[in-house]
Amino acid sequence: MLDIQPATAALRHYDELYEAGGLPRPHYAPLAATLDWIGRDEIMARVQAINTALLLRGVTFTVYADSAGTERVFPFDVIPRIITPDEWGRLERGIRQRVRALNAFLHDVYHSERILREGHIPRELVYSSKNYNREMIDVDVPRDVYIHVSGIDLIRDERGEFLVLEDNCRTPSGISYVLENRDVLKRGLPDLFRDYAVCPVDDYPARLLDVLRYVAPTGSAQPNVVLLTPGIYNSAYFEHTLLARRMGVELVEPRDLIVVENIVYVKTTQGLERVDVIYRRIDDDYLDPLYFNPDSTLGVTGLMNAYRAGNVALANAIGSGVADDKAIYRFVPEMIRFYLDEEPILRNVPTFDCTDPAQLQHVLANLDQLVVKNTNASGGYGMLMGPYATAEERERYAETVAACPRDFIAQPVVQLSSSPTLVDGRMVARRVDLRPFALFGRSIEVPPAALTRVALRDGSLVVNSSQGGGSKDTWVLQA
Amino acid sequence: MLSRVADSLYWLGRNVERAESVARILDVNYTRAMDLYSQRDGRSEALWRSVMQCAGFRSQYKTASNGKAASDVFGYCAFDESNSTSIVSAIRIARTNALSIRAELTTEVWEVVNVLYLYVLDQNLASVLREGPSRFLRRVRDTMQAFAGTSDATMTHGDGWSFLQVGRFLERAYMTARSLEAVDVEHEPWHESQRLLEMCHASVPFAQSSHRAPDARDALEFIVRSQDCPRSLRFCTREIDLAMHRISRSAEGTFANDAERRLGRLRAIFDYTPIDEILASGVPQFATQLVREYEALSSDVQAAYLPRLPVTA
Repeated sequence: MLDIQPATAALRHYDELYEAGGLPRPHYAPLAATLDWIGRDEIMARVQAINTALLLRGVTFTVYADSAGTERVFPFDVIPRIITPDEWGRLERGIRQRVRALNAFLHDVYHSERILREGHIPRELVYSSKNYNREMIDVDVPRDVYIHVSGIDLIRDERGEFLVLEDNCRTPSGISYVLENRDVLKRGLPDLFRDYAVCPVDDYPARLLDVLRYVAPTGSAQPNVVLLTPGIYNSAYFEHTLLARRMGVELVEPRDLIVVENIVYVKTTQGLERVDVIYRRIDDDYLDPLYFNPDSTLGVTGLMNAYRAGNVALANAIGSGVADDKAIYRFVPEMIRFYLDEEPILRNVPTFDCTDPAQLQHVLANLDQLVVKNTNASGGYGMLMGPYATAEERERYAETVAACPRDFIAQPVVQLSSSPTLVDGRMVARRVDLRPFALFGRSIEVPPAALTRVALRDGSLVVNSSQGGGSKDTWVLQA
Repeated sequence: MLSRVADSLYWLGRNVERAESVARILDVNYTRAMDLYSQRDGRSEALWRSVMQCAGFRSQYKTASNGKAASDVFGYCAFDESNSTSIVSAIRIARTNALSIRAELTTEVWEVVNVLYLYVLDQNLASVLREGPSRFLRRVRDTMQAFAGTSDATMTHGDGWSFLQVGRFLERAYMTARSLEAVDVEHEPWHESQRLLEMCHASVPFAQSSHRAPDARDALEFIVRSQDCPRSLRFCTREIDLAMHRISRSAEGTFANDAERRLGRLRAIFDYTPIDEILASGVPQFATQLVREYEALSSDVQAAYLPRLPVTA
């Protein structure tokens, strides 16, 4: 079954399955044996059953580029990605440290601006961020928590070291796939679990609910928590329904909410009911037409006033996007030293600052070896993979970068690690990343529920679901 | 519960019931048309015209010639997306409503609706008529009955459940009233009574309770006044009334809103008025009056609980 070739030296990337000698790594050996024992035909039959189950359950996402929101099943690869307790322990510590620093940074930029005044981060970089929000200056958010839920994207470099590729501090999605992947794999291929003690993932919704209840404005003994979704056409709608159902909270759309005298209510068949905490899965810009985008038909008029008056908690806090701005990213190690007086446990990917003329020159001269990302985009949209682009594409991109350097960062191409993946009935090596989720309430926790995304196209380094990526069940092994 | 969720549950209930009813009506008439009526005489066209009427389209349909009525009407009632009450439309609307309240539904209930939706997306008129429509119609009916069973067994029976019941039984009463409106018992008492009973899934229950061949008056009484037949007007109206009282928490026999008042009046007719008195003014007239009553009742229900919400972009 596992007849794939170990990665050739020419590709120079870390292979999750094989050691340099061509033998499976010890934590993968039992899995390799089980797959062999089950056999190719049986596995293919199970894969078909699993895919049908995902379609019927409606585990889909919406592709915006397609005509009017086509629903697609998020491709699921049945070969799990395995993480050892030691690896996870280090990731957990590194992520906790990072999220603590990012949260401190947010509190700082909206209050005393110490890190700016002392010159560690250029002011103009913060003020020019699309997600820096002046309305949040001097606003005290409940329990000083800004980033209740974050997703930290990690990749493995050629030597196998986990690096942080980007931080997601607004409304990271993907946890529903973690929960569903585990469930369908346990039902569809139970044998795979035979020799492993895998950390369960299914307590994530309960832990999230704990966080949300913790940040409720003081005084409500039984806080009313709701999950705010843009509606059925949002790409992550399935996730919103799953989390609401598993937490047992109402899934509301903006039109279900109304603000009266700075109190947020939900419209029910028994009249108006007060809302204390909103886990919102809507971007800042669409939350309140009074403050943000006046053209938005999505928002809840008056929500910002209720928030500033301290009558409702929002998770994540408004304005937290400034912390995951791609132009701010390269300063995160500095934040960790500044606020925590610690050395970063997880390193960044080296990043060029296009606002610095010398670095910009270097970037423009070496586009064929760099990845250039738009700081205002996500999901793999609007980026240039230098080595894989045509000369013409690079030229056009260079003009855009030169015209507005603040909107771009550049990084060397990191050869993501590969993991065995089933494609068209054959086991092949495909590149993967890892997105653990951190929950910030009483303390910062990193549940062992991480999303592994896999680039299903041969040779591709882009794992985003909007760009042909899929996902794998991720096993964090028990210590 | 959220008004929007209540609204979606109501329409989910209505459209699930609608798909099942239209499937049953088509099945009954398609099979009856095969042996009872020659394809060439006018009776077949009249039959299909009445099917159109049942499904709620009085005027649009012009009689097709050359025996095309069957496939035309079938296509319009089953597959036409421009017809908002066709089977395919009803399933699509039901699925959209289910999706918008996905968090309120159990996985089992959602899957029943989603599986049927994916199935009908794969079907088309030509292939369904080629293999005979029974299998397709059977699949729709089976699934919708599975919906009833699954929702009963897996959902909590709170307000949400009650709104689902209001939608289901209101649609069912409405379709029974429409069937009553569409049959012509005056000219063809035996065949038309039998057709009415079959369209209401009541032919065997009727036979079991009356122990004789259907006589038009008895059949009508059964469809209007049976205490136990789950598609009789009396039964459906009682179920709507009970669900509405569970939601408003007002005592039976009192009313908390216009919907409950209208239900009380309707129940009095079915409970206490002798059938001959009900039918004195003529079956079609009575049926048309009932169709209007149920349309008004739907507005009353929405006025009581389902305030018009702004539409999202």
